[in-house]
Amino acid sequence: MMTMRQSVFWNRVTRVLLYFSIAVLFILVVFPFYWMIVTSLQPQDAVFNVPPQLWPTHPTFQNYIDAWNAAPWLRYFGNTLFVAVAATLISLVTSSLAAFAFACINFKGKEALFSLVLSVMMIPAATTLIPNFLIIRTLGWYDKFYALIIPFAASVFGIFLLRQYFMSMPKELWEAAQIDGASRLRYFRSIALPLAKPAIVTIAINSFLGSWTSFLWPTVMTQSQNKQLIEVALNSFLGEKGQQWSQLAAASVFTTIPIVILFFFVQRQFIEGIGGGGIKG
Amino acid sequence: MDNKLTPARRKQVIRDNVAGWLFTFPSTLVLFVFTFLPAFIVIGLSLFDTNLVGQSDFVGLGNFRQMLLSGDFWGSVLRTLYFTVGSVPVAVAVSLLIAVLLNAKVRGRTFWRMGFFIPYITPLVATSIIWLYIFNPDYGMLNAALHFLGLPVSRWLTDTVSSMPAMVLYSTWHDIGFAVIIFMAALSKVPTELLEAAQIDGASGWRTFWHVTWPMISPSTYFVVIIYTISAFKMFTQVAVLTQGGPVDSTTTTGYYLYEQAFGQMHFGYASAVSIGLFVIIFLLTMLQRKVTGRKVFYG
Repeated sequence: MMTMRQSVFWNRVTRVLLYFSIAVLFILVVFPFYWMIVTSLQPQDAVFNVPPQLWPTHPTFQNYIDAWNAAPWLRYFGNTLFVAVAATLISLVTSSLAAFAFACINFKGKEALFSLVLSVMMIPAATTLIPNFLIIRTLGWYDKFYALIIPFAASVFGIFLLRQYFMSMPKELWEAAQIDGASRLRYFRSIALPLAKPAIVTIAINSFLGSWTSFLWPTVMTQSQNKQLIEVALNSFLGEKGQQWSQLAAASVFTTIPIVILFFFVQRQFIEGIGGGGIKG
Repeated sequence: MDNKLTPARRKQVIRDNVAGWLFTFPSTLVLFVFTFLPAFIVIGLSLFDTNLVGQSDFVGLGNFRQMLLSGDFWGSVLRTLYFTVGSVPVAVAVSLLIAVLLNAKVRGRTFWRMGFFIPYITPLVATSIIWLYIFNPDYGMLNAALHFLGLPVSRWLTDTVSSMPAMVLYSTWHDIGFAVIIFMAALSKVPTELLEAAQIDGASGWRTFWHVTWPMISPSTYFVVIIYTISAFKMFTQVAVLTQGGPVDSTTTTGYYLYEQAFGQMHFGYASAVSIGLFVIIFLLTMLQRKVTGRKVFYG
């Protein structure tokens, strides 16, 4: 048997080891972000130093200015923001309407239609890419913003999640609203939707992130420079700049920052959405 | 039945039907045009030799035969499996380790968790760029660190042998946060009474983990394995940015092979056949996942 004092000692050692392991793993995981920032502040000739400098001795913002001026970034940000916001808003409207109908309205063929909608999840996007390219061209949407927005204007995940929310609302709520003379649409707008706010936020974040980080789809569906989304533009920038790492790092930083800021605001909601709400942070 | 309804009730039924179909119409239309319809068109396309512009010849099942006889196709499947076998066990082990450490009542858990999760939400292109610099065999940080530690250096992405391990390293780094969150959620649901009971019976921490925690979280482990395997088969962006499938096809996974055949070589018919092959693989994996997570593995 250990004495009390020994046990306290070993407990303390375990705690120190625990924090030490977490810190080491943490540093390994966040290091590339640190390195991205350091590189973006290095003068271009310093990026080829062997061994690399862990700390910029002559930090400069010139890379940000050069990278920013080398391409129409404002345009790319505008495009991406427009596409992401439009796709998010439209898919929120379409999914909440559909979810409300599936949860609260009795109509013929409801069950069959719902199974059909769910079965869409079985078809991976990689399989539909080529026929979609054909469809987009047939619709005359090739190289147009429609091609980046409308195909993402519905979300099976969104319908499913919101339907769960609407179904869990007590029936008496709807009956009371009817007695007060509220129409179905009014009940949907002023009672059902506000109650489903957590689900709406989760769907909005997913949709927005999806548009912002999309790469393969916009690569295939657009061509002209003034239609490019940010990630596609960043990849072209890599093609142009080759090994000018400090400018490339600067562009990586300013194209990633909006996502990171957004994430800080919604991180709890987002992480709990993935973990199924099982974690208390 | 219907004629027994009062006029008011009948009116209500009609209104319900109209509202139901009206409300579901926008979503259904989008899903029909951009998911259902393509699923049928891809089958049609796979029967043709076509570049989608002018030339288009019916070849029956010729594309499928070509695919099944193609060394490039099977090579891409093998490379995807190599990637999966190389990355999934590592991702499970490391993310589980992180989750276990964070679950040990540490201070600042939200902060640590956010750090481990953040690569997952950052765009693949932007983070691939910095890793391209880190992987550089001549002046990159990774070789500098290995050299500093006295370990052997590597040509990483520029060599056919080390390119896939480098791809695994990058992808594991980028995606690990998702598994960390899943495991943290699973660990927090393991009943503390069970762990305490094991401790009272004199089991060591290691034995408690293997005999109590590990079986209890097995549904989450299977979930992570299947999700990561499916995403390996879809993997495209990091290959496009880091290596474009090279050097000498050494990182051409099935997802990238499909893209290259379609939009690089303009073999849309053949690529459609590959799309269907990919669908079959992902379908089987999804079925496996449903069976496994539906049955909950441990809970019986």
